[in-house]
Amino acid sequence: MNEFNFTLNGKAVTYRGDPLKRLLDVLREDFGLTGAKEGCGEGECGACAALLDGAMVNTCLVPVGVVAGREVTTIEGIAGTKEGQDIIEALADAGAVQCGFCTPGMVVAAASLLRGNPRPTETEIREAISGNLCRCTGYDMIVSGIRAAAKRGRRSW
Amino acid sequence: MVRAFKPADLTEALRLRKETACVPLAGGTDLMVKYRNWTGLPPAFPGDVLFLSHLKELQTLERRGETLRIGAGVPLADIAAWPETPAVLREAVRGIAAPAIRNVATLAGNVCNASPAGDGICALYALDARLELTSVDGTREVSILAFITGPGRTVLRRDELVTAVLVPRRAANIQVFRKVGTRKANALAKLSFAAVGEVKEGIVDAMALSFGAVGPTVVRSTETEKRMAGKTLAEVTALAPSIVEDYAALIVPIDDQRSTAAYRKTVALNLLKSFLEGLKEKVKGI
Amino acid sequence: MNKSDTLNETGISAPVRRVDAMEKLTGKARYISDYPFEGLLHARLLRSDRPRAKILGIEVPDLPAGYSYVDARDIPAGGRNGIRMITDDWPVFARDEVRFVGETLGLVVGPDREKVLEILSGIRVTYEELEPAFTIEEGLACKGGPIVGDDNLYGTYHLTKGDPEAAFRRAARVVEGTYRTGFQEHLYLEPQGMVGTWEDGKITLYASAQCPFYIRKSVAHTLGIPEPAVRVRQVTTGGAFGGKEHFPDVIATVLSVAVNKIRRPIRLVFERAEDIRFTCKRHPSRVTIRTALDEAGAIIGMDIDTVINAGGYTSSSLIVLQRAILHGIGVYNIPNVHIRGRAVATNTFPSDAFRGFGAPQGLFAIELHMSHLARELGMDPGSFKQKYFIKTGDTTITNTAMKDEIRLNEMFRKVDAMSGYRRKVKAYDDDPLKGIGIAFVNHGCGFTGNGEQEIIKAVAEMERLSDGRAALYVSTVEMGQGLQTVLRKIAARELDCGVDNIVYDNPDTDRVPDSGPTVASRSTMVVGYLVQQCARELKRRWGEGPGTRVRKQYRHPEGLTWDQDTLQGDAYPSYGWGVNVVEVAFDPVTYEVKTTGIWTVYDVGVPMDTRIVTGQAAGGGIQALGYAAMEVCEVVDGRFRQHTLTDYTIPTAMDFPSVACEFVENPYAYGPFGAKGAGELVFDAAAPAYADAVGHLIGRKIHEIPVTPEKIMEVLQDE
Ligand SMILES: Cc1cc2nc3c(=O)[nH]c(=O)nc-3n(C[C@H](O)[C@H](O)[C@H](O)COP(=O)(O)OP(=O)(O)OC[C@H]3O[C@@H](n4cnc5c(N)ncnc54)[C@H](O)[C@@H]3O)c2cc1C
Ligand code: FES
Ligand code: FES
Repeated sequence: MNEFNFTLNGKAVTYRGDPLKRLLDVLREDFGLTGAKEGCGEGECGACAALLDGAMVNTCLVPVGVVAGREVTTIEGIAGTKEGQDIIEALADAGAVQCGFCTPGMVVAAASLLRGNPRPTETEIREAISGNLCRCTGYDMIVSGIRAAAKRGRRSW
Repeated sequence: MVRAFKPADLTEALRLRKETACVPLAGGTDLMVKYRNWTGLPPAFPGDVLFLSHLKELQTLERRGETLRIGAGVPLADIAAWPETPAVLREAVRGIAAPAIRNVATLAGNVCNASPAGDGICALYALDARLELTSVDGTREVSILAFITGPGRTVLRRDELVTAVLVPRRAANIQVFRKVGTRKANALAKLSFAAVGEVKEGIVDAMALSFGAVGPTVVRSTETEKRMAGKTLAEVTALAPSIVEDYAALIVPIDDQRSTAAYRKTVALNLLKSFLEGLKEKVKGI
Repeated sequence: MNKSDTLNETGISAPVRRVDAMEKLTGKARYISDYPFEGLLHARLLRSDRPRAKILGIEVPDLPAGYSYVDARDIPAGGRNGIRMITDDWPVFARDEVRFVGETLGLVVGPDREKVLEILSGIRVTYEELEPAFTIEEGLACKGGPIVGDDNLYGTYHLTKGDPEAAFRRAARVVEGTYRTGFQEHLYLEPQGMVGTWEDGKITLYASAQCPFYIRKSVAHTLGIPEPAVRVRQVTTGGAFGGKEHFPDVIATVLSVAVNKIRRPIRLVFERAEDIRFTCKRHPSRVTIRTALDEAGAIIGMDIDTVINAGGYTSSSLIVLQRAILHGIGVYNIPNVHIRGRAVATNTFPSDAFRGFGAPQGLFAIELHMSHLARELGMDPGSFKQKYFIKTGDTTITNTAMKDEIRLNEMFRKVDAMSGYRRKVKAYDDDPLKGIGIAFVNHGCGFTGNGEQEIIKAVAEMERLSDGRAALYVSTVEMGQGLQTVLRKIAARELDCGVDNIVYDNPDTDRVPDSGPTVASRSTMVVGYLVQQCARELKRRWGEGPGTRVRKQYRHPEGLTWDQDTLQGDAYPSYGWGVNVVEVAFDPVTYEVKTTGIWTVYDVGVPMDTRIVTGQAAGGGIQALGYAAMEVCEVVDGRFRQHTLTDYTIPTAMDFPSVACEFVENPYAYGPFGAKGAGELVFDAAAPAYADAVGHLIGRKIHEIPVTPEKIMEVLQDE
């Protein structure tokens, strides 16, 4: 259990260390991927979100041992995909970014939502990001950005 | 340093459970918060940890005759999406936390955590759910009422795992779940209310009511429920004040950081009253 | 100004993509915890767990090699155990007494976090407990004996306009109300954090902060060294809202003492629960307003008594108090007024700056009081308030002529067209399930009085770089509000180039002049104006080649007067103006309120970017609705009871609907392209509008926020 492989942003990687360490710390400290942020460390804010086998999780609540043999995609990985680019461009155009601390998590939430539901309503978007707290924007521009991303990405989703 | 086990199958998991004093970890959404440590440090678990969420045996959602069997490792999101899930449970599960949590958290974890504010628990009480408990020595079933003995306390033995939550499939044309949370989403319950009942030709066949977060465990009174059975809807409505009175004696909430005792009690009874008074509307056309 | 500045598509207000959007969206932007440092040490504060006590002893176990315990004894000779904010009464390390739970006693530093925690838990502190005071009432009553002076007051101010005593003598009727607001946590999504290092023979701090020069000043004061011997570099800051105005000084001073001793990089980053428990909050307030009415029901005078709970040390409480009372009669012309303001000491964590800086408390009270008066007099609050709108040339509370051009009537018409206020406020009178509320506010831009001229003396510089771009040197920080985009936009427009041709890095006190702190809605208006002037001059002198550097210093607009001792004259160079309408619906079974509409109209001069200001309006509005409706923050035994993100509930995307926002354009002569401040104004109106709406909904007067379902139930059961 103290050494295992998983897929990180499409690449096979090996982790050596305590399997109980939080995935968040492993991403940030062991793999230098600092896109996921620690806003609370208790599952409340979504700033640490990443995809685990395509579904959004809060990495502060995932012991890294759980991801052995599975696929983790972080904001850095999402940003490199066509879907990710569509979301990012749409959010940038919508004015969805202020301090930016919630932002990577919001992109992950949007990606997770649009994969399963390419044409979400406003309520569905708001539900999808209800675990991602933002103190700056009041959410409006994030919501309109995700809506625009859905339009923009119509072909890819 | 504590160890972490990732058993290959349920048999190994049960063996490890018996041989070590390990903490079962399903979604980890309660445990990782409870044993939270300084950033960068692994959580301060009090003992070895047994990962469960990968076990195939715990991943199934199935209908076995008149029982729904919800595997202990199934994430809440899948339970909410399962067509067989009773409406009252679906509503409760959908209201737990937020999508990222529901993608990993389990119903069995919600039950074992035994928080008076657990939303799944409140619905399961009204559904007369049972827990399937398995050890190397065999399997037993315990009703949720008997399983939870207090806040954070259950009758789970040190060598046992919950392998499934069992929900009886029965006719229930009344299914209501109402959570009054600290905010409109991603919130913990100040109180919750669940009702599961069957009304046939204007007569109440059965009625189960439960109240969450208004006492050390979920409040349910089969005695009062019996007073409603066999009555017409009009009779139940007429009985409403005295039913409310019954529950008023049972509901003894506390003040805490999320709400006040007075609010919890008043609103729990308001919900009950409006439910009883609205019963007619609810079963219109049935 | 050579271009027409309008909200149209080509003007300065036309939205551009924010310059920081892409790096933040892709996860590349680096915040304080994202930087690697060679040989980094971790640190944790030892804090008091008593609200008021004498410290009898602190026993530190023997430390393993490589670990340090830092306290007041490590402050070098010539330094001072005081954090230089406005005054320096708040000690870096508690002296012989503690005044609140969470006061710093010492710092444990070392390479292994587990070990640091172990050391921390081995330290024994012994206290002699004293009787604490927590509430405004307990503070005023000097419960347990005064904490400061002999009356427990950090300060008292009086403002008088006209002859209020005479007005009350001839009043036909007096209406009184007491209004209360609670603590509010900033809940910037990135917790407080800083890394201190010893670089090039110098204390260097990498900080998540609003005011790099404040930090430099306080560190220099504590260590007893000249300010230039300290270097502060701001890093991308994940939200601040006033919470990273002075509080970073608390971290920086401790950290600098440690770095000075250990000479290695040390990181001090708070965890969320630490941050909620042990950082400053918005001042709770109690405001009592008595209004004198004549026979016809016209307001002839007001007497206002304002008290804010300042907590254990002064921090910026007196300036907050000044702003609270300077906004005490809101947007109205009241002929005779007396306001008394007091900041009271208690044994709670010191309260400090938070978006609005006192104005929200003052405005909450006056707006709600005006709504209550309207109801008493049988009018709708909107129409009643309109009768008293201040006009250009009217006398202000500080006895000078109001110089702003005031567009409140137009703003009211506009918000009415958006929201249907006038129709709904009548229609909902008889609807037990709906309510609508309105609030009008103004917000003074920049420092109070002549603070910009006398204290801040802001400087901005620009330089022509060798690659044909131009660099902007200011100390103003981006903390989410969009300043990097706005300032670059201003400079680019003057230089006729794209925003990409303007270089504006996060401020570094070794590289930029002091253009003042990023506070008080001053950055766009004051610093932006300097940037505009720099850019103009640089354009004229562009031909002088690379390296050409221009510098501009703040000059107070002509014709303004101010006396800081008496608080008389022009309290602010200009004001932003706003109106909010909030509509609500009720669940009578659970007493829960659902907000069904939020409409806002603002006069911010000329918005420098309509999308950025609209984003501020949405964010500020929702933050204020959180304050008004849900952010409960109680003190029990001197501890904040809601101290996790689970229990301190800020709004999610599901709690409120979208915020509609429109502008009236009203160019200000001393702002860049006519701009005034916007960042705080957008917080001020939503809370009173919400409380007004809830009052309308339930047909009772609301006096206090947060108005939770629990409070609504109480109010309804009270009758
Ligand atoms: C941000 C946040 C919001 C939340 N919101 C809500 C909410 O709204 N409503 C609500 O009800 N809950 C909420 N929770 C609590 C939590 O998500 C639930 O209780 C969840 O269902 C627990 O499941 P888990 O699989 O994550 O449990 P874990 O954390 O893995 O385990 C919980 C407990 O159950 C035990 N356990 C788990 N599985 C088994 C098993 N198979 N056999 C024996 N013991 C077992 C564990 O040892 C532990 O004691 C929230 C939690 C967080 C972090
Ligand atoms: S840091 Fe993981 S949810 Fe906040
Ligand atoms: S942009 Fe600052 S928290 Fe969302």
